[in-house]
Amino acid sequence: MSGKVITVTSGKGGVGKTTVTANLATALAMRGRKVVALDADIGLRNLDIVLGLENRIVYDLVDVVEGRCRLRQAMIKDKRHQELYLIPAAQTRDKSAVSPSDMVLVCNELRQEMDYIIIDSPAGIERGFRNAIAATDHVLIVTNPEVSAVRDADRIIGLIEAEEKGPACLIVNRVKPAMVSRGEMLSIEDIIDILAIQLVGVIPEDEHILIGSNQGTPVAMNGSNGASASQAFRNIAGRLEGEDVPFMELKAKISFLDRLSSLFN
Amino acid sequence: MIQEAQQLRIKGIRDGLLITTSSEGSFAELCAQLRAELQQKGAFFQGSRVALQVEARPLNKAQILQLQRLFIEYNLELWAILADNAETRTIARDLDLAIRLAGSQTDLDGNVLAHLPESSGNGHAPAHQQSDAQVLMLRETLRSGRSILHDGHVVIMGDVNAGAEIIAGGDVLVWGRLRGLVHAGAMGDDTAVICALDLNPTQLRIADQIAIAPHEAGRTPYPEQASIKNGQIIAERWKSGN
Repeated sequence: MSGKVITVTSGKGGVGKTTVTANLATALAMRGRKVVALDADIGLRNLDIVLGLENRIVYDLVDVVEGRCRLRQAMIKDKRHQELYLIPAAQTRDKSAVSPSDMVLVCNELRQEMDYIIIDSPAGIERGFRNAIAATDHVLIVTNPEVSAVRDADRIIGLIEAEEKGPACLIVNRVKPAMVSRGEMLSIEDIIDILAIQLVGVIPEDEHILIGSNQGTPVAMNGSNGASASQAFRNIAGRLEGEDVPFMELKAKISFLDRLSSLFN
Repeated sequence: MIQEAQQLRIKGIRDGLLITTSSEGSFAELCAQLRAELQQKGAFFQGSRVALQVEARPLNKAQILQLQRLFIEYNLELWAILADNAETRTIARDLDLAIRLAGSQTDLDGNVLAHLPESSGNGHAPAHQQSDAQVLMLRETLRSGRSILHDGHVVIMGDVNAGAEIIAGGDVLVWGRLRGLVHAGAMGDDTAVICALDLNPTQLRIADQIAIAPHEAGRTPYPEQASIKNGQIIAERWKSGN
């Protein structure tokens, strides 16, 4: 068996890499896959919090790399799922504690027993990013519908192409349909026009995502609460597994006032 | 001068500059040659990443560090040493330098996409009028962060995204959308032109002129050509017979 290594990255910080990693790992685990989520953001770890596993950390990625524990010991099992594990980052070290070749070794070992290894990349284009893509088979770029995030995504896509890790796929996060319909936010078409890569997911802005992250319960686990965001993540998981899942229609709820003002414009 | 030119070749490659040196002559001579060349073209090369091909010349750690400092002086970053000598490669790797051009369209035998014309001691001759100025042709989209530096003309079949830049000694032709920064005639040729199917750049420069394009949202793109007319950069709709 040989698992697939997927890196979630963005260039810009704060666009939702960690949220996407946690939810995608959860959604794939809910489909019965063996999944490990690996936090490559050494020194600024967050993935453990979003997955609600913070208090169970004993060993981390740096302990594995430096030989203080076996890989299996650093894998924290998420008991809410059959086969979902987290390898946390070290909080007291920095990116230089791990090298790209360390990542290749760790991922090759994980590939033996897992279906998916999902790596949460740090922001930026430096060592941490190089680590995160060193062993990857497939890159998911997360961006927001804002010009600066799209610009950084473009840069990252260029770097990934240069490393011959492409073609990358795109997830657009925090889309507000109402703002798009008023022409105040970049539309999905605008973003695809600039980045020219394949779209695998569109996630609407949804407060349940934040609530889930704070509580350590990824929204992908929810049934009714935050239904559209939850569904969006599950759809991405389906597409990654080769299913042809149609994109949800994100309809804006147009208020009477908006309709009125559009009449006059 | 002619002798020096044969010993040192500077080429624009996918990720910056490739400087090829010969293994003849002393290390001090090599440094002096590099210094002379950078002195002359420094402003044009500024900010580039440099890969240095040293062939069979053995270099020790102190010498590599000295080269690194020399490039920093001219605002260049030495990121790779391409050496035939295994020991030199080990030293370079220990200093965190690359020892090959990964993901580059350049192979180590010097089959590069483009090369700069041999320096004849007259670096400011307009590339435009040099019949030997080569054309660099790239069939790809330049994404944010890519920088193309070339002494001759540049042709891009693809888009030039915002955040990417092209600095050319001659003309720049973009068969696609131009949204980044282009500097044509970078060595002083004010007859250089910039053409694009959709000319919507962050900034245009020709010779020593700088222009900011008016931002028109939602316009239908059409081919345009920018050139210097009456001392300023003017963009005109392309029409046949231009």
